[in-house]
Amino acid sequence: MRAFISAVYLFLYAPIALVVLFSFNAGRNASEFTGFSTMWYGKALGNTFLVAALQNSLIIALTSATLAAIFGTMAALGMERLRPRSRALLDGLFAAAIVVPGVVIGIATLVALVEVFSFLNSVLASVWPDENPPQLGLGYGSIVAAHGLFSMALVTMIVKARIASLGRDIVEASGDLYATPLTTFRLVVLPQILPSVLAGFLLSFTFSFDDFIIAFFVAGSKTTLPIYVFASIRRGVTPEINAIATLVLVASLMMILIARILMREKKPTN
Amino acid sequence: MSKSYKENAPISAERLMDELIRLKRGSVTRRHFLGVTGLGLASAVLARETGLFSTPAFADDLGKQMSIATWPNYHDPATFEAFTAATGVAVEVNVFGSNEEMLAKLQAGGTGWDLFVPTNYTISTYVKLGLIDALDMAKVPNYSASTETARFTAEGVVDGTTYAVPKNWGTTGIALNSSKIKAPVTSWKDFFEVAQGEADGRAMVHDYQLTTIGNALVSLGFSFNSIKPEELAKAEELLIRVKPHLYAINSDYQPGMRAGDAWMTMCWTNDGAQLNRDVPKIKFVLGKDGGEIWSDFYAIPKSAANKPAGYALLNYLMDPANAVKEHIANGAPTTDSRVLSLLPKEVTSNAIVYPPETELTPLEFGAAVTLTDPARAEVMARFKSA
Amino acid sequence: MALALNTKRRMVTAALVAPAVAWLFIFLVLPFIAMLVFSVGERAPEGGYQPAFTFAQFANLPARSAAFWNTVILAPVGSFVCLVVAYPVAYYLAVKTSPRYRLLLVSLVVVPFWTSLLVRTYAWMYLLGSRGIPNLLGMIGFEEVRILNTPGAVLLGIVYGYLPLMIMPIYVSLEKLDRRLLEASADLGARPVSTFFSVTLPLSLPGVMTGLALVTILLLGEYLIPQLLGGGKVFFIGNALVDLFLQSRNWPFGSAIAVTLVVVVVFVLLIAMRIAWKIAGTRQVDLV
Repeated sequence: MRAFISAVYLFLYAPIALVVLFSFNAGRNASEFTGFSTMWYGKALGNTFLVAALQNSLIIALTSATLAAIFGTMAALGMERLRPRSRALLDGLFAAAIVVPGVVIGIATLVALVEVFSFLNSVLASVWPDENPPQLGLGYGSIVAAHGLFSMALVTMIVKARIASLGRDIVEASGDLYATPLTTFRLVVLPQILPSVLAGFLLSFTFSFDDFIIAFFVAGSKTTLPIYVFASIRRGVTPEINAIATLVLVASLMMILIARILMREKKPTN
Repeated sequence: MSKSYKENAPISAERLMDELIRLKRGSVTRRHFLGVTGLGLASAVLARETGLFSTPAFADDLGKQMSIATWPNYHDPATFEAFTAATGVAVEVNVFGSNEEMLAKLQAGGTGWDLFVPTNYTISTYVKLGLIDALDMAKVPNYSASTETARFTAEGVVDGTTYAVPKNWGTTGIALNSSKIKAPVTSWKDFFEVAQGEADGRAMVHDYQLTTIGNALVSLGFSFNSIKPEELAKAEELLIRVKPHLYAINSDYQPGMRAGDAWMTMCWTNDGAQLNRDVPKIKFVLGKDGGEIWSDFYAIPKSAANKPAGYALLNYLMDPANAVKEHIANGAPTTDSRVLSLLPKEVTSNAIVYPPETELTPLEFGAAVTLTDPARAEVMARFKSA
Repeated sequence: MALALNTKRRMVTAALVAPAVAWLFIFLVLPFIAMLVFSVGERAPEGGYQPAFTFAQFANLPARSAAFWNTVILAPVGSFVCLVVAYPVAYYLAVKTSPRYRLLLVSLVVVPFWTSLLVRTYAWMYLLGSRGIPNLLGMIGFEEVRILNTPGAVLLGIVYGYLPLMIMPIYVSLEKLDRRLLEASADLGARPVSTFFSVTLPLSLPGVMTGLALVTILLLGEYLIPQLLGGGKVFFIGNALVDLFLQSRNWPFGSAIAVTLVVVVVFVLLIAMRIAWKIAGTRQVDLV
């Protein structure tokens, strides 16, 4: 049993070890280790396009996860108050947003937006006073929208599960004690659902940051990190990619660690 | 505009020129320049910068970055580094595996490419769909029509207007690892036979219709460009029969060939030259029964975001001094006699790069109809998903 | 007064769900309607879409049957192999590991998610290529083994990519399992094996079902793994779909395939929910 478990962990970590190892490669090839060097870290951070792709990915992941967390939580709270039929309809739509494959979401969004934009652009062109009307196009907005769709459904699902397990009596008690609904929400409901909102936010962020296929279709001229990596696989991967991947890994490990430490420090006082 | 200009601290003429030169050299950002000179507020008032920068004084504002769409292993990275050093414009290189994919991206809009490299047979379609600009040849003074080879430049001109200028020409032949494959391979007929025999599991074909279907057609004795249903059906049958024996369907075959995973592939001249140079046991042969001869062009998409930089890079690449370096690095034969005269003897005498004319005779240029023909597209798609 | 309160309550409700409803409508319903409209259209002469009303695209679906069957077979097979590998790991983590190391080991299952799947899959391209594992096999006498660009490589990539998604739900369901039940079973004289089959396994079934449904549904739309580890040869329906938009530029046919894929996914989901309800005897199972 133990040997099997070790083998599974080896299986999970062998490629990651390889990625990290090649980030220290002296050669320019990510498939032949020729010596130890840290130069690719410098090159990666000096590569305008790689850094821009990383920035784009961070901006998109943060925006879509934040919007998803806010709107998803609002929806989870609002759905409680809906009539059963509307609630079932909304439930169905959220479920669809989660299970419809990313490749379909990407293509469908692309197809719909291309049509909508070409219509809006022709309208804009006809009403615009001069020769150069603004052109609507794919970019940040479309990626955030398409990522946010899945993420929002995810947040709603998680927060709803939490709300379902929440005791109603405490909310009623708060009302009995003449707290306004807003105060009740702030002091009673929010603290209880906050962990699930945060969990939803983190999952959304991770999903958006790692998504390739949706962004591939709706990114327009914007390059996200996964799109950059995919393009490099064609062009020949240099250890720059490994260096950035390693940095992202280390950064996320640090974040997990910091979160752990913060939680540990908080516990005794609670 | 004049009001806001006055409100900002006045700037002396010398200081303005000084800052302008620094901007052009790329040592300061445009934002810095605008801030210092007080033009920032002015341009903020003008919602779009283009209005400001299209005035002659700023005619060659090239921005900070641009994007080119091209083919795998097709440029010397040093060329772009030198361009960036000279102009301050960083070049993003996007690599594609097929003209179809480039076309699909441009049709969907918003690619962000400022320059791209379509192949001869696609240009008329791009023009028809209004996806590329007619070139302003005044912005490409390094291009010299008189020294070009008409055979390779013709398709860049549509109805008397120049839409694209040639990058280089080449052929699509067969690259094979001679230490692994002993059988003689001199034709596409041989290619498909060996792919099912000695090179079982080790042969690659391109990931697009023109050459994969075209070479299958040639091996059956049909025209490379055929769109006749019964001939396409035979080609499809052959391809589907060969498919289980293939290593991969991919237009980027250099990694596989170099690593020894693949032993034989459909191969463009430049890749053949590079592979043979680095791994001498990899040979490059042209099909005796036919195949493709092509020329690649530079064109500027209508949707380009930074056309000044697109033109600047195009002009830079058309400079024979730069083209020669590119040629030596990527091994694709030139269409420009100025470049030819600058090449060292070992390049011009390389039979992979400049094969004898007799070997080119059976080859055909790709026909525009193959790009848009639904039947060829569907045969390719069925072959891949079979 | 009561009426006013009621109106206010409704307005608050509407305000709460409005952003989500708008989002769902614009970026899910509208695109899906666009797909439906496109799927009855025709391919424009130069590629793309032109309006028409025809079911020719749907009639042409059998032309992708190979990719379709690849998907319908490899997705469940892939998720089943995932299950076979994941179950012992989840069991070990939940039941056999001491609490001291449990958190660490569980975290280690999730951490791979923090490195790009693309980069990790690229690493597999190297490991499975002739300089990787086949090279090692060559040293012990197995010459010229080819792994990369075979269905086996795709299956391996699938198991690799989705294993954590299978381990976690099973782990969660096993962890909730009351250990006193296991002790009671042992006290009553049951052997460990029979305890496992009569107590542990049935109680972990909801987690197993969640994992299977999750992985199968995600696999039905998989594109990257077959693309990178299958050499463009092992086609999933997702690959056929991307190909239709990026190579053939046949938007109507692509739309028809996309619509069909959605129907298949919903169908699989319904079956999974049916089974889950039967097992749990209740509707309390979270599938996704």
